[in-house]
Amino acid sequence: MNKRLLLVLSLAVLPTSAADIEPDATRIVREAIDHWRGLSSYTEMTMVIHRPDWERSMTMRAWTKGQDQTLVRVVEPKKDRGSGTLTDANSMWTFSPKVNRVIKIPSSMMGQGWMGSDFSNKDIARADDIVDQYDHTILKREEVDGITVYEVQSIPHEDAAVVWGREVLKIRDDYVVLEHAFFDQDGELVKKLVSLEIGEMGGRTIAKRQRMVKTEEPNEWTEISVNDVVYEIDLKDSLFTLSNLRNPRD
Amino acid sequence: MNIVLRLAWRNLWRQKRRTWLTVGAMVFSNTLLVFMISIQFGMYSLMIDNTLKVFTGHMQIQAPGYKDDQKMRQTVPAVVPLASHLREKFQMQTIAARGWAFGLASSEERSYGIGIFGVEPEFEPQVSSIPGLVKQGRYLRERDASEIVIGAVLARNLRVAIGDELTLLGSGLDGSFAAAVVDIVGIFESGITDIDRNFAEMPLASFQDMFAMQGAGHQVVVGAETLDKATLLQPEIAAALPEAADLVVLDWDALQPGLKQAIQADMSSAFFMYGILVILVAFSVLNTQLMSVLERTHEFGIVMSLGLRAGRLGRLVMLETALMGMIGLVLGAIAGAIFTTWFTVNGLSIPGMEEMAANFNLPARIYPEVTPWTTVAGPIVVFLFTLLAAVYPALRLHRLHPVEAMRTH
Repeated sequence: MNKRLLLVLSLAVLPTSAADIEPDATRIVREAIDHWRGLSSYTEMTMVIHRPDWERSMTMRAWTKGQDQTLVRVVEPKKDRGSGTLTDANSMWTFSPKVNRVIKIPSSMMGQGWMGSDFSNKDIARADDIVDQYDHTILKREEVDGITVYEVQSIPHEDAAVVWGREVLKIRDDYVVLEHAFFDQDGELVKKLVSLEIGEMGGRTIAKRQRMVKTEEPNEWTEISVNDVVYEIDLKDSLFTLSNLRNPRD
Repeated sequence: MNIVLRLAWRNLWRQKRRTWLTVGAMVFSNTLLVFMISIQFGMYSLMIDNTLKVFTGHMQIQAPGYKDDQKMRQTVPAVVPLASHLREKFQMQTIAARGWAFGLASSEERSYGIGIFGVEPEFEPQVSSIPGLVKQGRYLRERDASEIVIGAVLARNLRVAIGDELTLLGSGLDGSFAAAVVDIVGIFESGITDIDRNFAEMPLASFQDMFAMQGAGHQVVVGAETLDKATLLQPEIAAALPEAADLVVLDWDALQPGLKQAIQADMSSAFFMYGILVILVAFSVLNTQLMSVLERTHEFGIVMSLGLRAGRLGRLVMLETALMGMIGLVLGAIAGAIFTTWFTVNGLSIPGMEEMAANFNLPARIYPEVTPWTTVAGPIVVFLFTLLAAVYPALRLHRLHPVEAMRTH
């Protein structure tokens, strides 16, 4: 098979992947998010919250559909089993079986830690705001072990409801995000999400283990590991409803 | 009576009106000083008392670092036994254990992030003014009831009333989901919007249960009778802590650093004003004494040619001033004390000050504090500056030539 044929074939199979044209920054970011979420997905993951004097591990199941809908439910520890959050567009609801109530997280609390982790509620809910509400430019392009890595700088629009001054992403040419750094309005690095392990899962190459670290507290971090993932499955819209958050039917 | 003293006294009344005018200036400034200093210190002790009475207390036992980070995990273990041990040991009721956590409070309609205190219902009223400020409903009663009291602004924001349920969500000590449904039994109104909007109190045992505290809390609040006693009590409390415990005792200045700074800033601006007042009085005395020396040039020339030395004359002038100053001091202090005491009984309210006063946790009506110190401090300073003002006229006498002086009329 000659190289040209391979290229044609890959174009046919992966219509969105970069060919020999220079990809633009916005598309790279969009592709990276689509690559991570798929049109729909089901994920089993473990979240470890690490502090100097203690550590907490949680197992969770997550469903995503489209760009807006996400449902996350805690499996372990037993004490918190059934607790979960539902996000739709930029809204987030949380459910605790202890009080059997669904509560909408007010926008003033979106900057707070999600389930006590170093991810904020906003990190979980806003996922793809970065595509529409930011301007993207490629800062750098480098080859690492034969893979092209783009360094993309994303600056929020003037009117975007975002606390960050800019974000810098390192994205491989297969749309795996290696690094996602958040800078405040003064240009200081606030926190950074780093992919620690990249591998094949659910038919895609994805970041299997990611760690969020705040610059101010280098000894405190939260790690999310993907244990299992299935992409492009058929998920009903009724999955992403408040009544399903309260009474799971899965 | 000493001849110089008698002379001085007589000289003073040679120009009755002038003397009385100068004394009047002194009395006026002294009265003003007594009044202002009394108000000022009355205000400071109110500021300290009222600020500390809300939550802080005179001192707190906390885990090291808690004051700055306020992290859930910086706990005081077995906080209730510790508080009751201290109450017994010091025979004081003004010691109470507390927990503090950040949480989300939700009514049917709305949610707000608030600070939740877990308190001992029977002892919290001894260390905090909040229980006494419950305007609707009642304060907490039982240690483990699912009850809560919230601020009036928060109640309005959440659109809830007494008897409604509130859902609380937060993170427990072990990182677990903390959740509870509680009944609103009371609504407090401190008048300080920040407090009325952002805080709620629930019984400590329920708090510990909800946040999986395992008997721990975050602070033991200690109130003393007075600020001075608090200073003495602090090392005793520190010594009474269990030896193995890694805890610190912080005084009110460490807990509320802004308070002392605000007082110091106010104090320096006030003392600047007093300084100006005192200097004005001193210049009026200087003017009077200079005039009285100059108009007596002829007379001084005669007594000097008779052999009286300039130094003796100078002392005479100083003595005149001292006598005048003394009259001003005594009358001023008395007038000031009477005037101010009237306000200690009736209080003083300045129209339009209410809002500013609320910022400093002050009531709209201020009661000055009359002590011997506030009464004499100002007048004594005025007296000293009066003497200082007489130095120049007295020294001028040394340059007087008896013959030339006798020629002036």
